[in-house]
Amino acid sequence: MICTACSCLCDDIELEDGKILNACERGYKHISEYRQNRAKNSVNGKEVDLDKAIEAAAEILKSASSPVIYGMDTITVEAQKLAIKIAEKLGGYIDDNSSFCLGEFVEAILKKEVPSATLDQVRDYAYVIIYWGTNVYRSLPRHMSKYTYYPRGAKRNRGYDEDRFLVVIDIRKSEIAKLAKKNAKFIKVENDVELVESFLKAVEGKASKYDVGGVIREMKRADFNVVFGGLGLKYGLKGNYGLFFEFIRKMNEITPLYFLPSGFHSNMRGFNETLFEIVGAVNKFSFSEKKSDKAFEFSELLRRNAIDAALIIGTDPVSSLPYDVSRNLMAVKKITIDPKNTLTASISEVSIRSALSGIESGGEMVRSDGVRQKLRPIEKTEYDDVYILKKILEGL
Amino acid sequence: MPLTPMDIYKLLPKTNCKKCGEQTCMSFAFKLLNREKKLEDCRPLFEEKKYEVQLKKLKEILKPLEKATETGLIVNSDKCNGCGNCIVVCPVHVEKDPQGAGSGRGPTISDPIYRIENGKLVIKNMHACRRYGKSRILCVVCRENCPTDAISFLEG
Ligand code: SF4
Ligand code: SF4
Ligand code: SF4
Ligand code: SF4
Repeated sequence: MICTACSCLCDDIELEDGKILNACERGYKHISEYRQNRAKNSVNGKEVDLDKAIEAAAEILKSASSPVIYGMDTITVEAQKLAIKIAEKLGGYIDDNSSFCLGEFVEAILKKEVPSATLDQVRDYAYVIIYWGTNVYRSLPRHMSKYTYYPRGAKRNRGYDEDRFLVVIDIRKSEIAKLAKKNAKFIKVENDVELVESFLKAVEGKASKYDVGGVIREMKRADFNVVFGGLGLKYGLKGNYGLFFEFIRKMNEITPLYFLPSGFHSNMRGFNETLFEIVGAVNKFSFSEKKSDKAFEFSELLRRNAIDAALIIGTDPVSSLPYDVSRNLMAVKKITIDPKNTLTASISEVSIRSALSGIESGGEMVRSDGVRQKLRPIEKTEYDDVYILKKILEGL
Repeated sequence: MPLTPMDIYKLLPKTNCKKCGEQTCMSFAFKLLNREKKLEDCRPLFEEKKYEVQLKKLKEILKPLEKATETGLIVNSDKCNGCGNCIVVCPVHVEKDPQGAGSGRGPTISDPIYRIENGKLVIKNMHACRRYGKSRILCVVCRENCPTDAISFLEG
């Protein structure tokens, strides 16, 4: 089966004699605990059957004057499409976690502002591999062993210690920074913007705060290098994305350097791509104003009390957003669709229990590099996100 | 702290009486650590009352030996998150299962040294490890690439 616990979407998970093989610990928990803490179908705290819950959800959305659809990073592309249709029909807002995660990075790739590549190409060709502001040991546990630094590839068949050059950039010595030993460099960064500037200066052969000349020299030796950018990079840039993309483009005048996001949610990239195909933006979009804007971020909408109903799918803002934002949810009518009984589900006017994508229901998800994976569920439930969202759409 | 032959030697009778079949207590210490000898082979330790305290201490420091495999390898499951680095870097996997365990995927051979079960590293076939047997070499590649030091070897 395919593990849907993170955006690596590992495709080699096997079940044997009651054991789960090859999945990392996060994947193992995701798969083995899927029956625990399941959501119930309920309206105003009272358990109801699925049809009643769907009806109540459609009612709330129909009578809302400013609804938002939020989440969707752990559901399939098919379900994401339906959720987008619902937002369109309502003339509402739509946003996912990528607006405070790696949305800007994916957008730049989809708009072809920076060159990107697949993980399979990274495995086969990459020489310098830079992890910038991302500790994949925690967020994407098998990233290095399955896709990037460690496996031997078509053109990189002598192993990591000879055929790769690892660069880890972080504010602290993270777990993966400890792996930067031979043929490798750890850069402890205090200021990401200055580091980008140092890279730009080094391209011109000038020295500056950070000593990165050696990294540039290594990159020049190869015809394929890659940067994985994570949340640490995003926040470290403080909005200076342009400068960073400029660095990637400048590098490409000398030697190929590809950029890949290293975000965590299983199908966040899928949401970004799906919305992008339909409206040309990756997140925080308003169907009534027909544009994407910072003001339409879910947390911004909440902060400004700009919404009166929220359809929250497969995410738990009550536990992930700061309290001074999430408390405004109390004034909003909430519908949650989630396999699990999350905190948000437990305070929602309507809670709908859905199937776990990849375990109980199939469909397509998009890996962090844009490669599409067909899920291979081990069970089959009729009442999955697609069923539920279709019914809600019909009820509007 | 890895155990050294010196740590063991210090607690032996240091009489070089050869009752264990070794020429010296020091070489007995080495063999003990390599699991080629058992503590019981040093009979004076058990027979003479004056070594009682030393014997107790020896048993204490040799405890990890029981947990360790024949190659002296110990996996601390609490520290392991199943990232698989140790599996893909193992030269034996690279040689015998280049498309599976040797490239970061699930193993395609029936007897890999390691595999991930229920999210944790388990040892399946220690006999294939380069540290095993007569012509062993002191390979530490798997340990070197574990980000959380979940793998250790008795000998350090
Ligand atoms: S790395 Fe991600 S997709 Fe792969 S097994 Fe672990 S949690 Fe699942
Ligand atoms: S039997 Fe004990 S005391 Fe005698 S040589 Fe061997 S280790 Fe030393
Ligand atoms: S010690 Fe060497 S041969 Fe043995 S399991 Fe580790 S990497 Fe493989
Ligand atoms: S490298 Fe360490 S954490 Fe990763 S699977 Fe091996 S023992 Fe576990």
